[in-house]
Amino acid sequence: MTAEAPTRNDLSAKLIGSTRKLGEQTAFYASALASTGEAVRRYPAEVLRLIAVMGMGTGALAVIGGTVVIIGFLTLSTGALIAVQGYNTLSNVGIEALTGFLSAFLNVRFIAPATAGVALAATIGAGATAQIGAMRINEEIDALEVMGIRTITYLASTRVVAGVLVVIPLYTVAVLMSFLATRFGTTIIYGQSRGVYDHYFFTFLQPSDLLWSFIAALTMAAGVMVIHTYYGFTATGGPAGVGEAVGRAVRTSVTATVFVLLTITLAVYGQSGNFHLSG
Amino acid sequence: MAQKPHASIAPQAAWAKPAVAVGDFVVLAGETFAAMFRRPFAWRELLDQIWFVARVSIVPTVMLSMPYTVLIVFTLNVVLLEVGAGDLSGAGAALASVTQVGPVVTAIVVAGAGATAMCADLGARTIREEIDAMTVMGVNPIRALVVPRVVAATFVALMLYSVVAVVGLAGSYVFVVFVQHVTPGSFVAGMTLLTGLPQVIVSLVKALLFGLSAGLIACYKGLSVGGGPTAVGNAVNETVVFAFMALFLINILATAFGVKVAP
Repeated sequence: MTAEAPTRNDLSAKLIGSTRKLGEQTAFYASALASTGEAVRRYPAEVLRLIAVMGMGTGALAVIGGTVVIIGFLTLSTGALIAVQGYNTLSNVGIEALTGFLSAFLNVRFIAPATAGVALAATIGAGATAQIGAMRINEEIDALEVMGIRTITYLASTRVVAGVLVVIPLYTVAVLMSFLATRFGTTIIYGQSRGVYDHYFFTFLQPSDLLWSFIAALTMAAGVMVIHTYYGFTATGGPAGVGEAVGRAVRTSVTATVFVLLTITLAVYGQSGNFHLSG
Repeated sequence: MAQKPHASIAPQAAWAKPAVAVGDFVVLAGETFAAMFRRPFAWRELLDQIWFVARVSIVPTVMLSMPYTVLIVFTLNVVLLEVGAGDLSGAGAALASVTQVGPVVTAIVVAGAGATAMCADLGARTIREEIDAMTVMGVNPIRALVVPRVVAATFVALMLYSVVAVVGLAGSYVFVVFVQHVTPGSFVAGMTLLTGLPQVIVSLVKALLFGLSAGLIACYKGLSVGGGPTAVGNAVNETVVFAFMALFLINILATAFGVKVAP
C-alpha cells in the first residue's frame, strides 16, 4: 500500500473495477442457476457424491458429527433461547403459559430460518469455497476447462442442486431441534405443565407458516451456494488466498441470507400477518 | 504455541486427534492469558488489529443488525397489533434488540467476519513459515501476535455490540413509526418498560466473552494450519463453525445466567 492520497484516476479505476466485478458476479450467478438442469442430466453421480459430502462434512467437522449435528446444535441453542428469554419475560407480566405460542410462532417464522441460514453459510457454504478455491489454486479448474468440461455447470451448478436437496432433511432436523429445545426448557427446566405448553403450541402452529419457512430455507440454500461457489471460483493469491476467499464468502452470504429472509417475511406476512387470535 | 507432536510419538487412535486439538487449544488459551499481563505489550500490533477487525466487521454489522431487528419487530408486531397492543411495540423492540438481536448479531459478525479474516491472515503467515522465523529470532508469537489479536477481538466485539443495539433500535423506530404507524411517543415510552441498565450490562458481558472466545479460536486455527492450499481454506471453515458453536453456547448460558441476576 502507498501512503499517498488516492488520486482521481485511482478512484475511477476502483469504481470501474468494482462495477465490473458486480457484473461478473451476476453473470456467474445467472449461469450457475440456469445450468442446474444440465448439471442434473449430465453429472448425476457428482450431485449424489456432493450430497453425501455435504450431509456428513469433511475433516475435523466430520469428527464432531458433520453438518447435521452442527445445524441441529445451533438451532437447539436458539430454540432454548426462546425458552429462557421468552418464559422469563412472559412471566414478568404473568402470561408464561403462552411460551408454547412463542415457540410455534417465533421459531417457525424467524428463529429457525435465520439460524439455519447462518449455519448453512458456515458449513456447506464455507466448505464449498475451500474445496473450489483449492482446485483453482492447484489449476485443476483450468485443467477441467482444457478437457472441455463446463466448469460452472460441473462445479457450481451441481453444488447448488446438492445444497438445495440436502437442506430439506437438514432444515427438518433444524426446526424439530428448535421445537424440542423450547419444549424441553419450558416444561422440564422451568416446570411448566406439558398440557398447557402443548395446547398453546399446537393451537398456534400453522402448516402454511411451516411451508413458507421451508421455502425461505431452500432459497437461502441456493443463495448461499452460488455466493460461496463464486468466491471459490475466483480465489487468487496462493494458499493464503483460499482462506481470504472463505472469509469474504461467509461475510457476503450471511448478509444475503438475512435479506432473503426479510424479503420473504415481508412478502408473505406483510399484508395480513396470517395470525388470528380469535379464530 | 500449538506444536504438532512428532509423528513417532503422536497417538494413533481415531479419537486422539480431536483430543490433542482440545488440549492444544487449552494450552494456547492459558499461554495467552499468562502473556496478556506481561510487559512488553505489543501496542502497535493491537492498534493495527483493532483497525483490521473493525474494518472487516463494520459493514456486515450494519447490514445484519437492521434487517434482524426489523424482522423480529415486524413478527412481534403482527401479534401486538392483532391484540390491539401496538403501543407496546417499543417494549418488544428494545427487549429484542438489546437482549437478543444485539448479542446474536455480534456473535455472527465476530465469528463470521472478524474470526475468519483473522484466521486467514494468521494461516497465511503460518504456511509462509513466518511464525517459525519469528520463533527462531526469539520473538514469542503468543506475545507478539496472539495477545494483541485476542484483545482486539474482545474490544471490537464490545464496540460492535453497542453499534448493533443502537442501529437496531434506530432501524426499528423508523420501521415501526413510518411503516406500521405506531405513535412515536408510545414507542419511545415503551422502550424502557422491560429493558434497563442490568440487561445492557449482561449483553456487554456476553459480547466480551464472544470476542474473547472467537479471537482464541481464530488464533488457534490459524497457527495450527498444515501445508497445502486446502489447509487454509479448511482452517477458516473450521474456525467459523467452531466459533459459531462456541458463541451460541455461550449466548444461551449467559442468557440463562442473565435472567437470574437481572430479571
